[in-house]
Amino acid sequence: MEQLATIGLNHYLTISAILLCLGLFAVMTRKNAIVILMGVELILNAANINFLAFSKYNGSMQGVMFSLFVIVLAAAEAAIALAIVINIFKIFKSVDVSSIDSLKE
Amino acid sequence: MHSLIQLSIVVLLLPLLSFVTLIFFNRRLPRRGDFIGVGILGTAFALSAYIFWTVIVQSYDPAFRVAWDFTWIDLGNVPGVGPLQVKMGIVIDNLTAIMLAMVTLISLLVHLYSTGYMAGDKNYGRYFAYLGIFTFSMLGIVLSDNLFSIYIFWELVGLSSYLLIGFFFEKDSAADAQKKAFLANRVGDIGMWLGILILYSQFHTFSFSEVYANLAAGKFALSNAWLTAAGILLFMGCVGKSAQFPLHIWLPDAMEGPTPVSALIHAATMVAAGVYFVARIFVMLTPDALHVIAFIGAFTAFMAATIAITQNDIKRVLAYSTVSQLGYMVLGLGVGAYSAALFHLVTHAFFKACLFLGSGAIIHAMHHEQDMRWMGGLRKHMPWTFATFTLATLALAGLPLTSGFLSKDAILAGAIGFANVEGGGIYYLIPVLGFFSAMLTAFYMGRQIWLVFFGESRTHLKPADPHHGDHHAHDSHAAHGDDHHAEHGVHEVSWNMRAPLVILAALSVFFVYSPDPLDGAKGWFMKMIPTPATVVGAANPQIGSLPAGSVLPQLAAVGALPETHTAEGAVAPAEHGAAPAAAEHGAAAASHGEAKGGHAYSDPRQAEIVHAGHAAHYTAIYISSVMVVLGIGLAFVVYVFGIIDPAKTAVAIRPLYLFSLNKWYWDEIYQATFIKGSVVLSKLLSWFDTNVVDGIVNGVATLVRKFAFANAGFDKYVVDGLVNFTAFSVNTTGAVLRKLQTGKVQTYVVMLLVAVFGYFIYYFTRLIY
Repeated sequence: MEQLATIGLNHYLTISAILLCLGLFAVMTRKNAIVILMGVELILNAANINFLAFSKYNGSMQGVMFSLFVIVLAAAEAAIALAIVINIFKIFKSVDVSSIDSLKE
Repeated sequence: MHSLIQLSIVVLLLPLLSFVTLIFFNRRLPRRGDFIGVGILGTAFALSAYIFWTVIVQSYDPAFRVAWDFTWIDLGNVPGVGPLQVKMGIVIDNLTAIMLAMVTLISLLVHLYSTGYMAGDKNYGRYFAYLGIFTFSMLGIVLSDNLFSIYIFWELVGLSSYLLIGFFFEKDSAADAQKKAFLANRVGDIGMWLGILILYSQFHTFSFSEVYANLAAGKFALSNAWLTAAGILLFMGCVGKSAQFPLHIWLPDAMEGPTPVSALIHAATMVAAGVYFVARIFVMLTPDALHVIAFIGAFTAFMAATIAITQNDIKRVLAYSTVSQLGYMVLGLGVGAYSAALFHLVTHAFFKACLFLGSGAIIHAMHHEQDMRWMGGLRKHMPWTFATFTLATLALAGLPLTSGFLSKDAILAGAIGFANVEGGGIYYLIPVLGFFSAMLTAFYMGRQIWLVFFGESRTHLKPADPHHGDHHAHDSHAAHGDDHHAEHGVHEVSWNMRAPLVILAALSVFFVYSPDPLDGAKGWFMKMIPTPATVVGAANPQIGSLPAGSVLPQLAAVGALPETHTAEGAVAPAEHGAAPAAAEHGAAAASHGEAKGGHAYSDPRQAEIVHAGHAAHYTAIYISSVMVVLGIGLAFVVYVFGIIDPAKTAVAIRPLYLFSLNKWYWDEIYQATFIKGSVVLSKLLSWFDTNVVDGIVNGVATLVRKFAFANAGFDKYVVDGLVNFTAFSVNTTGAVLRKLQTGKVQTYVVMLLVAVFGYFIYYFTRLIY
């Protein structure tokens, strides 16, 4: 039980790994492009948690700064990706990624 | 250039001009241009007569000679052989001058005669053109100073003879005859060419004088047998052209040509070219070659005479008579009676031309009847023809007071002398055959005169000719075409056919040639044509043993003369200039003097024969006179007095009669041997071709085909297989890889994860071990 009293690095990493797996799961299994985007956000945030955790236990500000950049990047990415999804919807009348495979041919 | 040379070139080219003009323009000219032919020949004859006058009458020198030559083809310095040049040139000596005058005169007379005989022929102009090219070629032979140009003109003469024999080419017999003549001549010409090549291979020159100079200098490196072979091969040209046995078969058939052509070509000039040629090469003939020539001549003379006695066609009798007389000439050259043979050539040319033109007049008058059995009694109708024909006949038979007597007796005397010198035995066969032929000649000519001119007309005896239409088909004498009842229309011929007869008959009398009616040797002809000394053989026994360069010291000595003189400091300028020229021409000039009578009797064998011939002169006269009288007497007995019936005699000696009538079966023999042989050989070769040669070709083709199939299989299965396999593997790989590219982002993510996990597994595995 003592282990629960203090939240250590492993707890952060575990959370981050769970988040990553959930994100990957969403990305790999969902058909809806928006849900996949959400999965991607989960993966990014799993990485952010890792950055922050290592930053705290390392005593430097590099991880914090990096995570800030990731957040900004994620926002930009979401904006662009959503724009793409909107365009895909305009062309294919669907956001189902399994039906959008015309690059294969 | 000597003015005579210039004149002779003009004479040579004039008939060519006539040919070129007439062959292209005869249809545009009035009278088809016959006046051009006659006029040009008249000019040529006038110039030739001038040359004759200058050479024979004015200079009257047995050794007269002017020559001119130029380099025609210069091959430069041929590696391994030395400098090679082919020269062309003209030589005029007494023989040339006489031949020139004779050829142009007879040609002129034949031209003139043809204006009457050929009148109305549809190819009248072409006929005169052919006469022109013939005269040109014949003059070329006469004027040539070297073997090469003689050979060229020799072939041209053969060509013009071919054209003229086949002048009535619509007739099969004429077309066959022209082919036969040409082929028989080719056989002889091949031999002649080989003979020329033997000499050329030794001396690298065609010129007569240079060849003889080299021979006299002993430069002939091969054995004497080769020289004999060269002589006999060159003589083969004469055998073909002069219709000697065994190539005599073409001349009688050549009578298919127009009769004036027979007179010009096949009696007087072209066939004499062979004899003329042998005379030109006389000095290089070895005794062995001369023996062959003598025997061939004697046999030809005899054989042709026996054939002539039974022929019924007026022209065929004369044709065989020509062969026989040419045999005499060849015999004469063979036995060394050089002057006599050439004398006979000229006298024979005139009287035989007269006979042929006379027979042409008869044929013309009889509306193309040539068979003597249906003639007779023409004496009254054609007095001019009769008189001239008879005179020429007497000359041919060799009766005293005629030209033929002089020349024939000179030959026969030479033959007796030859047999005496050679030591008798088989050599006496030659004079015996000669005398016997003289008797036969008298007999068949007596028969001909009687059948044609005496007695009554036998035209009505002629059996109806079912092929009458064919008989006339070849002639376009349309005016006479329909009436074949000759007795209604026999008439003397017009002046342009009569004049040549008279001129030629006048030239058959003795005083034209010799003041003594019994001895030709006293006449100008035999004085102007002395027998040249040989450059080989008995006079030069060391021939062949001398090294090839043995004449060099002699030349070097001549060339060294100026230097010697300079050293002595006493050189005359004239000598200085003359010496190199002498060095250049020394050999030729020296031997030329020897060859052309300067040392006429430096050759002991020849001297002995000539001497023995003179000794035998009166013997010959006696025997031949007896023979001629016998022959004519026999003809009278048989045909005039009727004591012996020719028909019954023919039955009594039927095998002999048939043997003669069928011309000794030579045509049949040649048919059975050479022609059949050629056909069999050609069939054999054809079989060989189709089966062996074609077999080889086809075999190679099959092999190549098999190989090609094998190659194709290799291509198809191995090369293509490799290519296809490459394509297939790429295709397969592509097909597999294509499966990976689904186009679904999530699949790629999975693959990414797999790859990352794979990497981690790999990494950690490396980390652990």
